[in-house]
Amino acid sequence: MAPSTEMRADAEINGHQKAYEIGGAGGGFEMEATDLKGRKFSLPVDSEHKAKKLKLYSFAAPHMRTFHLSWISFCICFFSTFAAPPLMPVIRDNLNLSKGDIANAGIASVSGSIISRLLMGTICDLVGPRYGCAILIMVTAPAVFCMSIVNGPTGFILVRFFISFALATFVSCQFWMSSMFTSKIVGLANGLAAGWGNLGGGITQLIMPLVYDLIRTSFGADDYVAWRLAFFLPGVMHITMGLIVLILGQDLPDGNYRQLQKSGNKISDSFAKVLYCAVTNYRMYIFALTYGFCLGVELTVDNIIAEYFYDRFDVNLHTAGIIASTFGLMNLVARPLGGVSSDLIAMRFGMRGRLWILWTIQTLGGFFCIILGITNGLVPSIVVMLVFSFFVQAACGATFGVIPFISRRSLGVVSGATGAGGNVGSILTQLLFFSSSRFSTEAGIKLMGVMSVACTTVILFTYFPQWGGMLCPPTKATEEDYYASEWTRDEQAAGLHLASLKFAENAKGERGKSRLVASAAAPATNL
Amino acid sequence: MAFELLQCHLRILFLWLVAMALVLAAEGGVLFSSLEETMVVTADIQGQNWTDGPRIRTARVGDDHMLIKWALNSTLTGLGVDREYTTVKIRLCFAPISQVERGWRKTNNDLRKDKTCSIPITSQKYTTEGNFTDWTIRRNVPGASYFVRVYVSDVNGTQLAYGQTTDRLKTSNLIIIQPITGRHLSIDVASVVFSISSVGALLGFLIAEFRRMK
Repeated sequence: MAPSTEMRADAEINGHQKAYEIGGAGGGFEMEATDLKGRKFSLPVDSEHKAKKLKLYSFAAPHMRTFHLSWISFCICFFSTFAAPPLMPVIRDNLNLSKGDIANAGIASVSGSIISRLLMGTICDLVGPRYGCAILIMVTAPAVFCMSIVNGPTGFILVRFFISFALATFVSCQFWMSSMFTSKIVGLANGLAAGWGNLGGGITQLIMPLVYDLIRTSFGADDYVAWRLAFFLPGVMHITMGLIVLILGQDLPDGNYRQLQKSGNKISDSFAKVLYCAVTNYRMYIFALTYGFCLGVELTVDNIIAEYFYDRFDVNLHTAGIIASTFGLMNLVARPLGGVSSDLIAMRFGMRGRLWILWTIQTLGGFFCIILGITNGLVPSIVVMLVFSFFVQAACGATFGVIPFISRRSLGVVSGATGAGGNVGSILTQLLFFSSSRFSTEAGIKLMGVMSVACTTVILFTYFPQWGGMLCPPTKATEEDYYASEWTRDEQAAGLHLASLKFAENAKGERGKSRLVASAAAPATNL
Repeated sequence: MAFELLQCHLRILFLWLVAMALVLAAEGGVLFSSLEETMVVTADIQGQNWTDGPRIRTARVGDDHMLIKWALNSTLTGLGVDREYTTVKIRLCFAPISQVERGWRKTNNDLRKDKTCSIPITSQKYTTEGNFTDWTIRRNVPGASYFVRVYVSDVNGTQLAYGQTTDRLKTSNLIIIQPITGRHLSIDVASVVFSISSVGALLGFLIAEFRRMK
């Protein structure tokens, strides 16, 4: 999302308007194109038939329908991955779990997706995001149903591991958005889809205890039977959504992969070179680490918070679930706002502003995590938790305001590595702070906050020669220098880097207002 | 005007803080170490004779009953120790072996925070002759090692004394309760059926689409 985009953010973000529209700066020429079959698109599109606008209240095929199918599938996968934590007080008694078992299951629940996310990118490339999403969601449904038949810690850990494969729908979601929306709007579309998908982690904390209670009271089922039956809900949601995606979804604005002949406009790159380019960029490692302390912390808290409130404050399962759900539900606004704030600050201060705001938001998140660990009352804890959740989730959004600029050639690998870093962060925090009885849960939360603040400081080391870093000013290097340097001399001679140059031109906005004005006033230099 | 509003907010905040402080101050509960063990409690599993059977007994949820008898220690009768005893609460408590690595069952000297005896059995009025209760083990009792404890409280609910079926170290006379699994054949079958239908629906759809493409 280049900051030079005019966000016709008719702050008519007030809901009084019928359609919530956010437009790209493509002022005049909004063509009402038709797809290959001659049907009109309901949104203005570019030459690739990608939409230039986002109409959130519309379900029109193909663009907005894709948007809704993607985020809802992702939401359902989050729902089932975190369906066990709110029922943990019952499950831990039924399966005789120890604290270590619960922590291992929590770690397993964020590990499976590391593997599946790596595979998902390739699957989407080969068969399309529609099949990728539907196949994944329907193949993980048996894992969800298996939760109803587990007998002990081993089974529980294994099932949570296999269910977590479903979180790879994040990749198919982002991939699908990139096929349907232009580059100016894709950042926002992805941010909303990711944020609303993460909502699933909050919704599940609310719904699962309700379903459990309903089964217990209406059908008079035993506690240990009721929670098993409750898992049929996410399972059935998987099957239903998978079928809906297959029936209603399509890979590209013009149709499905198999139906279309791909026109060879896209230059295919060598995977080894793309990987090398990513692996040698130190910024990838910085953001993989820091994402571990915003998304990672969010995933960890999704796993422990309901049990925390149940045990520490003696509220019942129902109430603990409601409180825990508010954490995840903040994603509705927090994550998109994080992305928006990154864009807004970039308009004035460029990339340096993005880095500063990311560091600030994430450090505040860590700070409030520490406070949560030392708060003793129920109501103050809830308030602190809400503030904490806002900052942590906004940090996730702000991170993806920076990621697109780290590398152009290896954007996929960098994004993937960042996502994986998020999961690794969750594994690390659960392992260190919540798996042994050495710390109480509140002490664990406090220490997690401390580690979060400490690890976020590595953002200080990020430096872009053309834009500067948090503490260091930029050099005279240009965006073209930076992005072209990802290609070798030979590749540049062959003209393979032209797309990167185009991106570099668009990325000039990251210089910030003062430098942009200065460079506009100065005489034009030859490239 | 803004200043008055600020003053008003500060006053409300101050009052709230005072209220919270009072609430928190009132929270302190009775300490277990201050209670005297004046009651004698026995727990029998129907059909199992505990004097000559093994020291650790097992009971199955849903099948077995527990007969719990409690009374004031006979050496203390007539001394007026039970002047204020009003209610007797009988609870099932986790033995230390079942508390390992399970912080949600942790023993805390402050009875308000103590989670050892989190499973209530019943509540009875105190009588000098003692009483008994026949308890069918509830179906949501987890599998673990237990002992039975009674707390005697006064008219306000403040604990005054206790009695338990085990010794101070909580290692003898334990009862192992075997829980229900919660699994039923119908759930297993439904689980398998749904799983197969998920994969089957997917394959069917893919095959149908593949055929149509040709």
